[in-house]
Amino acid sequence: MYKARHAWLFLSIPLLLLLVFTFLPSIAALALSFTNYNVFQPSETEFIGFDHYIRAFQDPVFRETILNTVYYWLLVTPALVILPIFVAILVNQKLRGIKIFRLIFYFPVLVSVVITAILWQWMFSTDGMINYFLSLFNIDKVRWLTNTSTAMPALAVVTIWQGFGYYMLFYLAALQGVPQDLYEACELDGASFWQKHLYVTIPMIKPMIFFVAVISTMSAFKEFTLMLTMTDGGPLNSTTTAVFLVYKEAFERLDMGYASAISFILFIIILVITLINQRMLDRTPN
Amino acid sequence: MKALRVRWLCLMMLAIVGLFLVACSDSEGGTSDDPEENASQETEGGSSSESASGELSGEVEFMTISLLPAFEDYLNNLKDEFESMHPDVTVTINDVPYDQVSQVVLTQASSGSLPDVMNLNTEFVKKVAANGALVNMDEAADDVKDDFFEGLWKTAEVDGNVYALPWYTTTSGLIYNPDILAEAGFEEPPSTFEEAWEMSQVIYEETGKYGQVVGPEMHLLFPKNGIPILNEDGTEAAFNTPEAAELWGNLKEYYDEGLYNLDVMLNQVSMAELYAQEQVAWWSTGPQLYRQVEDLSPEVYEKSLGAPAFNGKAGLQHANPMNIAVAANSDAKEAAIEFAKFVTNAENQVEFSKEASVLPPLKEAIEDPFFEEGKDSEDATIRSRYYAAQALADAENMSPPGDDVLEVIEQVQQAFQRVILEDVDPAEALADAEQQVNNILAQ
Repeated sequence: MYKARHAWLFLSIPLLLLLVFTFLPSIAALALSFTNYNVFQPSETEFIGFDHYIRAFQDPVFRETILNTVYYWLLVTPALVILPIFVAILVNQKLRGIKIFRLIFYFPVLVSVVITAILWQWMFSTDGMINYFLSLFNIDKVRWLTNTSTAMPALAVVTIWQGFGYYMLFYLAALQGVPQDLYEACELDGASFWQKHLYVTIPMIKPMIFFVAVISTMSAFKEFTLMLTMTDGGPLNSTTTAVFLVYKEAFERLDMGYASAISFILFIIILVITLINQRMLDRTPN
Repeated sequence: MKALRVRWLCLMMLAIVGLFLVACSDSEGGTSDDPEENASQETEGGSSSESASGELSGEVEFMTISLLPAFEDYLNNLKDEFESMHPDVTVTINDVPYDQVSQVVLTQASSGSLPDVMNLNTEFVKKVAANGALVNMDEAADDVKDDFFEGLWKTAEVDGNVYALPWYTTTSGLIYNPDILAEAGFEEPPSTFEEAWEMSQVIYEETGKYGQVVGPEMHLLFPKNGIPILNEDGTEAAFNTPEAAELWGNLKEYYDEGLYNLDVMLNQVSMAELYAQEQVAWWSTGPQLYRQVEDLSPEVYEKSLGAPAFNGKAGLQHANPMNIAVAANSDAKEAAIEFAKFVTNAENQVEFSKEASVLPPLKEAIEDPFFEEGKDSEDATIRSRYYAAQALADAENMSPPGDDVLEVIEQVQQAFQRVILEDVDPAEALADAEQQVNNILAQ
């Protein structure tokens, strides 16, 4: 009883903050999605039912942005789930100065998104560093950010570069919890380096893999800063994601109700994907 | 015990929700969506900021865009002078970064506390005005209306009414690199678009560099060449013409010949960078932006010269003023209107022009001897400012009218991008864009 009261006391402040800054605005946004709310004329607000949701499903730009978001997710999430495992295994070795390597791999996470965007915009520009390297192998210049087919993959590369150090830390924590005697038993059985990781490491860190898959999925569906700073959603909307559309509808077209409706459709999509991931996680023996 | 705890929790939640709703409620009662109604409220309701003696009073919040700290002294002088003229008025200056203006305005609007006087760009001022949130300046500033150039007074026009006073503006001058021109065999920069493209061809062949570059402001090319974007009453697209198709067809040909790349048009590289890297022979823009070249490459700026900007077939220049608007629900509306007029009067605009290399959109101000200087200057900014000032009387704001301006511009730009990136026939792209724009205007 005493412990429970103290627990609630400690939880009350974060709960209060969550309520005021997350839950209440979310509920307010859900309510707005059923109205024609205009920030300059709040007194004129009327309930309009599912009009915004119907409009969204009839809007070709919204459909395009959902496809763009799914494309970006497919480019980014598998790489951010798999690549950091290898890096984590590497930096989990007991070598002198390994902490410096961990810091180096983590360093991109510390760089602000806007600075990252400027740096990569320069690298991807027609006369930038990447095209210079390609020219050494007689490969023609690629218009990375001004071509509808290469712009999104280019943005995915930036996201992966910036994100893999973050997920590496999760895997590193999981790896350090894997009992050493399991590896020793494998070695006694004559397992190679790769076999040890395939039959011990991967099964042991499976819950973390699912966790990373869930949070990188949510992060991919919410990404818009890179699109805003590097391509402004173009060329020809090819990098306009759903959240970027929310931003444009809310802050450029001042259509808060429609922006809220799109946000909730996106929320439902992320919820469904998270639940599927959760179900798969529950079914794993670990 | 458990029930008691649950009850306490529910009570706490209710209290928080109540507090939240009270905090978010609009104590001002909002504004009408009818600009006319707001205008009549302004005139009938009188002002809480004017005392019985007729003396102005109240607190005026002045929101500026990215002017601090560079122009801190100028703005503080404005504030001090106005406060000394009206002792019962207090002015506070709140500077906002350019890319955060809409968020700041929307956040303040949602809590019913819009800044009393706002510096807004042309596109956003129309959006805000269309929502009935701004004072009608055709009525409130009728006494100073004729002081402004007619083509610029109408910058913030929505449904036939003007909702902001034009503040500082600029037309274009031309900064050019004589070394690149000489390498290609030219002594003088171009004076027409046709000449510019002919010279670009030679420059590209001789030096591998660019001459004329297509920028992101595709929508301005139409009015510059006498093709209106919308019809006279702003209800339908008017750009789907054989002249427009020919213009886009030519630009597509130039692109295919390699005369310009897409980096500038798609905002991947700024013209200042391209010019400072000596990748382009000239840059037609407002002289106040030349300092970007000077910052990036003082050597390139040093050898650059200034010239008049060339016009399209319409023979007109585009001017894009910053605007000063007053919130319709301001508590100190009369003081705010007076302050807006004070900031934009001839004397203060000339003073600001001297500090910022911009131009005043007022007939009297442009006659100041300061704008007659610089014709023979070796400094590109000073010489171009002279030419830009000469062009101001015939300049107009060429942005499409109405509050759907951003959506209309986006459709025109995307249609041209389809011509370039997807090889769509210009006539087909124009027809599609016309349809899209008409749909937007019909909503």
